[in-house]
Amino acid sequence: MKTRIATYVTITILFLAGTSLLAQKFEQPVLISSAGQSADVKLVKMLAQRQGLNATTVLMAKPEDLTGFKTLVIVPGFSSKGLGAAGISQQDELERVQSLIKAANDLKIPIVLMHIGGNARRQGQSDSFNQLVADNSKFMLVVKQGDEDGFFTKIAGARNIPLTLVEKIAETAEPLGNLFK
Amino acid sequence: MIKNNLSTIIITVITATMGVIAAVSFGKMHHPEELFPSEGLTGKVMLSDYFEGIKGTNGDTEVYLFDSGVEGGTALVCGGAHPNEAASFLSAVVILENLRVTCGRVFIIPRLNNSAFTCSDPMEGFPASYEIPTKYGTRRFRLGSRVTNPLDQWPDPLVFSQYPSNQQLSGFETRNINRSYPGRADGNLTERIAYAIVQLIEKEKVNIAFDIHESSPEVPIVNVIVYHENYEEVAMGAILGLEMAGLQFSPETSPKNFHGLSHREWGDYTNAIPFLMETSNPSMGRLRGRTDVDLVLRGYCDNYKKAKETGALRIAYREDTGEPIAHRVGRHIAGVVELINSYNLYYPDMQIVIENLPDYDMIMEKGVGEFLNN
Repeated sequence: MKTRIATYVTITILFLAGTSLLAQKFEQPVLISSAGQSADVKLVKMLAQRQGLNATTVLMAKPEDLTGFKTLVIVPGFSSKGLGAAGISQQDELERVQSLIKAANDLKIPIVLMHIGGNARRQGQSDSFNQLVADNSKFMLVVKQGDEDGFFTKIAGARNIPLTLVEKIAETAEPLGNLFK
Repeated sequence: MIKNNLSTIIITVITATMGVIAAVSFGKMHHPEELFPSEGLTGKVMLSDYFEGIKGTNGDTEVYLFDSGVEGGTALVCGGAHPNEAASFLSAVVILENLRVTCGRVFIIPRLNNSAFTCSDPMEGFPASYEIPTKYGTRRFRLGSRVTNPLDQWPDPLVFSQYPSNQQLSGFETRNINRSYPGRADGNLTERIAYAIVQLIEKEKVNIAFDIHESSPEVPIVNVIVYHENYEEVAMGAILGLEMAGLQFSPETSPKNFHGLSHREWGDYTNAIPFLMETSNPSMGRLRGRTDVDLVLRGYCDNYKKAKETGALRIAYREDTGEPIAHRVGRHIAGVVELINSYNLYYPDMQIVIENLPDYDMIMEKGVGEFLNN
């Protein structure tokens, strides 16, 4: 009897561990978008290409752009030049991102946060975008300099979101690719 | 009689003396600092050789050429668009005084808006000059104005209508070279300088062009590489390369609807790949304290330390070390080198190979003066 219980417990633990690992796997095709219009999203596009991901980048993705995609990667970070280039206000951008996230959640498309801009994309006007995306993400991939005050670590802990911290932007490429393997 | 007017005479003499001292001091702004190009220099012309409309004006400026004699691409490095941005000018000078080119050509214009070197910004309390110790003695450099000298271009309109976009800007910006591109042949002096630069880019078939700048720590566009959207890959490649060398630069796309800037108009009106870089300079910021040479060179300011600690704004300021001139010049030169490296990967048939420039760590260790000639 004891042996049987031990076997059940072991199988259950292995199953849960496996489920947890599976929970961190995401499917392609991938839609990459920005939250705040920083050009960091262009770097993520390049990194995704180098990893051979089936990814499409739409800077100002709207809910209807989600059709056919299985994962949404959002790169948060405010850029006044980026918003100027897009010809929109910060409030317009915030509303766009909110609607995109809501649609992704409704469609059960998991969101991956990639914050690669370090402290240049923290505080000030960036954090409203960082907070919004982080709160709704299923995985966070962050360059450490952007988490010096534990901003992302705290959100990850409070919401039980897996978080990977790396030293450099270039080091995000491999964990990004691994999410889809 | 004399006794009755003694106080008047004393005040007049003191005022006249102060006036003469101020005039002599201000007159020095019209004496350009001597530059000492490296042995790689192959030619020197004037910007007016590309457009006669600025000949004989304070807007004319030296253009230095480093031609390897080996067929390749052509780069243009511009410092001193805004002469109140010390690291802009000094970075171009350090490149000028050390550069060797082994493939292709490099043009350098250290004093892009030469007229703006002849005055300082009123009401800002900037020092008129600063000195850098070198192996050969101390060298003095002028700290000029953001805009063309009003003695060369006056008056400012109430509203500046940028040509040809008709974008409306503050009247003051009519003397800002980095709001005046692509310029026009029959425009005001600043527009004519801008026009001459565009003529140079066209005539010399410049492939990649750099406009080096600085900004206040509280400005969002700082420690960045601004790129034209057609050349995104070159910028991103360089940013990754710089990060591997421990230097973080943020990418910023040139807004399509913000006109007159080099990163927009050089890309739209010429075949050059334009990049603009900014470093953080506390002496330019609104939160700065006493504005002296120490602030310009050491870049340390308690006000910015406190401002950053509040977390209310994003402040590009390093609390422990400040933003010293070696750090700022080192970043700019590393940026130029890495952008050219990235360009070479994407344009292998038009290579530009440069050598002998100090890297960031060398400049930080030895100081800018170590890399200045005499």
